[in-house]
Amino acid sequence: MRAFAERHPYWSAVILIVAAVLLWMIFALWPEWLTDLIGRKKIFLNAVFNGITLGGLYFLVASGFTLIFGLMRNVNLAHGSLYLLGGYFGYLIADWTGYWLLAFPASFILVAALGVLLQVFVFRRMEGQDLRQTLVTIGISIVMADLMLWIWGGDFYNINAPSWLNGPMQTFFVTGVKRSSGELIFLKYPMVRVVIFAASVVVGVGMWLLLNRTRIGMLIRAGVDDRDMLSATGARIQLVFVGVFAFGAGLAGMAGVVGGTFQSVAPGEDVRFLLASLVVVIVGGMGSIPGAALGALIIGLAEQIGSVYFPTYAVVLTFLIMVLVLAFRPQGLLGRG
Amino acid sequence: MNAPMNAPTGLAVGISERLSATGTANALELRRVSKLFGALAAIEEVDITVRPGERRAVLGSNGAGKTTLFNCITGDYPATAGTIRFFGEDITAFPPHERIRRGLRRTYQISLLFTGLSVIDNIYLACVGVSRKRFSFLRPRRDDALVASAESLVNVVHLDEARDTLVANLSYGQQRQLEIAMALAGAPRFILFDEPAAGLSPTERRDLVEILMGLPSHMGFIVIEHDMDVALRVAESVTMMHDGRIFKEGKPAEIENDPEVQALYLGGGDG
Amino acid sequence: MALVEQRVEPSERPTWFERIPASWWIVGVILLIMPTFASDFVLFQIFGWTFILGIIALSLMLLAGYGGMVSLVQMTVAGCAGYMVAIFGVSAITGISQGWPWYVSIPLALIIAVLFGTISGWLAVRTEGIYTIMITLAIASAFFYFTRQNYVIFNGFSGFNGVLPPRLFGVDWRGPIAFYYLTLFWAVVCYLVVLYLSRAPFGLALQGVRDNQRRMAALGFNVTAHRVAAYAFAALLAGMGGILLTWQSAQISPGTAGIGPAIDILVVAVIGGLRRPIGPFIGAFIYVLLKTFAIDVLVALGLGGERFQLLIGLGFLVIVLWSPDGILGLWDRWRESRGRDPLLDPRGGPMDDRTGDRRGDRRVDSR
Repeated sequence: MRAFAERHPYWSAVILIVAAVLLWMIFALWPEWLTDLIGRKKIFLNAVFNGITLGGLYFLVASGFTLIFGLMRNVNLAHGSLYLLGGYFGYLIADWTGYWLLAFPASFILVAALGVLLQVFVFRRMEGQDLRQTLVTIGISIVMADLMLWIWGGDFYNINAPSWLNGPMQTFFVTGVKRSSGELIFLKYPMVRVVIFAASVVVGVGMWLLLNRTRIGMLIRAGVDDRDMLSATGARIQLVFVGVFAFGAGLAGMAGVVGGTFQSVAPGEDVRFLLASLVVVIVGGMGSIPGAALGALIIGLAEQIGSVYFPTYAVVLTFLIMVLVLAFRPQGLLGRG
Repeated sequence: MNAPMNAPTGLAVGISERLSATGTANALELRRVSKLFGALAAIEEVDITVRPGERRAVLGSNGAGKTTLFNCITGDYPATAGTIRFFGEDITAFPPHERIRRGLRRTYQISLLFTGLSVIDNIYLACVGVSRKRFSFLRPRRDDALVASAESLVNVVHLDEARDTLVANLSYGQQRQLEIAMALAGAPRFILFDEPAAGLSPTERRDLVEILMGLPSHMGFIVIEHDMDVALRVAESVTMMHDGRIFKEGKPAEIENDPEVQALYLGGGDG
Repeated sequence: MALVEQRVEPSERPTWFERIPASWWIVGVILLIMPTFASDFVLFQIFGWTFILGIIALSLMLLAGYGGMVSLVQMTVAGCAGYMVAIFGVSAITGISQGWPWYVSIPLALIIAVLFGTISGWLAVRTEGIYTIMITLAIASAFFYFTRQNYVIFNGFSGFNGVLPPRLFGVDWRGPIAFYYLTLFWAVVCYLVVLYLSRAPFGLALQGVRDNQRRMAALGFNVTAHRVAAYAFAALLAGMGGILLTWQSAQISPGTAGIGPAIDILVVAVIGGLRRPIGPFIGAFIYVLLKTFAIDVLVALGLGGERFQLLIGLGFLVIVLWSPDGILGLWDRWRESRGRDPLLDPRGGPMDDRTGDRRGDRRVDSR
């Protein structure tokens, strides 16, 4: 980070100023003119936190996508379908057993298993044929989407979080002052979102540790940098590929459970989350997990803030960010040059 | 050797440089050029000056940095440090196609020819690349000037019988000849030949030397070679590289007889 | 496929007339006299739609097959042109449509579509080829969502209806026979132009950029400029297809250029074959036939007519897994197996584009 600050002093200053303004807006008590200008602080805080937690969800989906692409050069356009499948599985498990927490590992394992099958029986045969792999993922996504529609129909399913997670939790963010007593009013925010966000962070940190502190991680990072070199080292590259694809798919499946809890499981969500993954990795940088995190945060915030403050043009904001990144830094914010 | 030019600044000076370029400027001038790959310095602090029309050979064992040097000059890799001037113009920041358009050409160690096209089509493409016709939507007429120059180039590199043969069906030697023809397209001012004799039979080597010696006198070149025979025969001056740096420069005869060179390069064998 | 012609005596050189294979003549004649024996439905729905989809898929083939860039934004560009013709021309949504005459609205629509395609191309080509598909898909979806939410210009969810072709020379161009000839004409023109272009310096340079980007730069070609120019030209084709498409259904809405249709164009081009310009039209024909008659087939199989997507998806998978070069690939392999050596085939000429044959099967990668 210091190197970045040294090389781009102006940008660093800009970022610092923006960060400072944002932090002030979040923690400080708002003066009257600010509330008159953009509305109540509570709405602002809700938008920001919804954006951050949505970013967490996007990170879960996008990180799997970028990992698969980064290592195997496979643009997995069926990623959204894996997400949706995980959502449906999660719903089934949670409904059947009554344990919400069980849905996560179950979805992960089931979708990861599908990932193993796909990698071993389909993608392995097409090593090096990037376009062909992508076309196959398109075909798979079409087939999966229709099969899921056939089995589960067009209904919206919602995965119920357990009661101990339901309801708001008290936060330490001040939204205002009680006129009568001068007491500070604190923001109440849905606990389930906070918990899930925390879990995303844990997953993200775990992935970072895995990639940067273990031998397997080193192999994977080396492979992302130069795949041919990796196979030349004699590492069991096919096993690594299967593992990575399965992990990425499992993550997507698990994210489906998250999305089913936050929002819903329904046809069309696969396309929506595939597109979100695309935009997140375009903005954040391909093949980069930190890039996926940064991109997810930016896009999540943009979407939520956009939908609250400029509802008709929320999609324009997201698109604008993507176009700006493509125009001025085509490889993505944290992507390799 | 010319005294190195001081590095002038200012737009006006640059323009006057360009105006006098054909007369007095050096064809190629590298000043303190380095290329780093991470921590590895492929070439370091390289200073080279080549006059217009001069024939230079760059020699050195494998890994000495010769091909990296070429890649920096053509812009395939941007140099990490240093400046490169081509006929007086600072091309350090230019992308490859801009350098090509100013009269620089290069052949490759591994032929990058279009295997699905015929010999004449490859050369025609090379001629088109540096002309205004490269965006043309119209097919060339029979009397097209570029077609004519492509035909004459086929002749220069002795490939007349193979004119319509697909590159995929050419012999290795013929492919190398085609490679040279591609470099000659569009009246270059200076050419970089990257191991043109690699893999050629003795007859083909003689043919190559003939072609190189037969180039117009205003066309300077640098040739990288492992084959000392070829290199020393076509070159007026020699630059030796070792471990990414310039090690020695001089006339072919001097270099051939230099004891240090013999110990390091000839005695030690090709890496 | 010589760009520069082979050295043959003028008297020996066959005329272009003689170089067209007999089978093509037969197909041509059948296409010309089709209205005498085909029903209105076949002319308008089946062939009209085939030619339109073929033109749009042709624009993708130009980029992907000749340029190595798989662009999912072609249908979007087509939709953009359709929208522009509705907005600047005449439609039932009088609140938005400007009502300008056809000789203003059509060129304007094409210009805007080309601009849109060029910018999309510029955004997409400066990264590695494999990102192109993602970036163009993202742009396509952004356009879809934007047109769906914007009511001021695009009339949101409902879009525009009542968009009709102008009544030129007293002909109702939307009548089945007229429309058939209209789309046939433009399909043939686009096909011939792309074929000719593939042997012009521009087309050759594009293929060179696909195969050997580094070499092309070393020959003085500005690779990025060539790619963007290809996107611009492809946008022109897609725009024409889009206008025809809008006229055919007399309406345009966000769903016309949605993500499903965008991917369908890729499916069409791949099924037909990305190597030669006839491929997209073959793929379009198959797609249209499937879309029209699949429901009956599905019902007959007891699967219910809604499983059309499943059928298309499976069919697409089968093609990609077993013949990645599409129907054209199958055809080429069948021809080779029958002993005719395409290399020594004496027939050569404008209809016989052999670029694809000689390259082998390696160059369908985006690079």
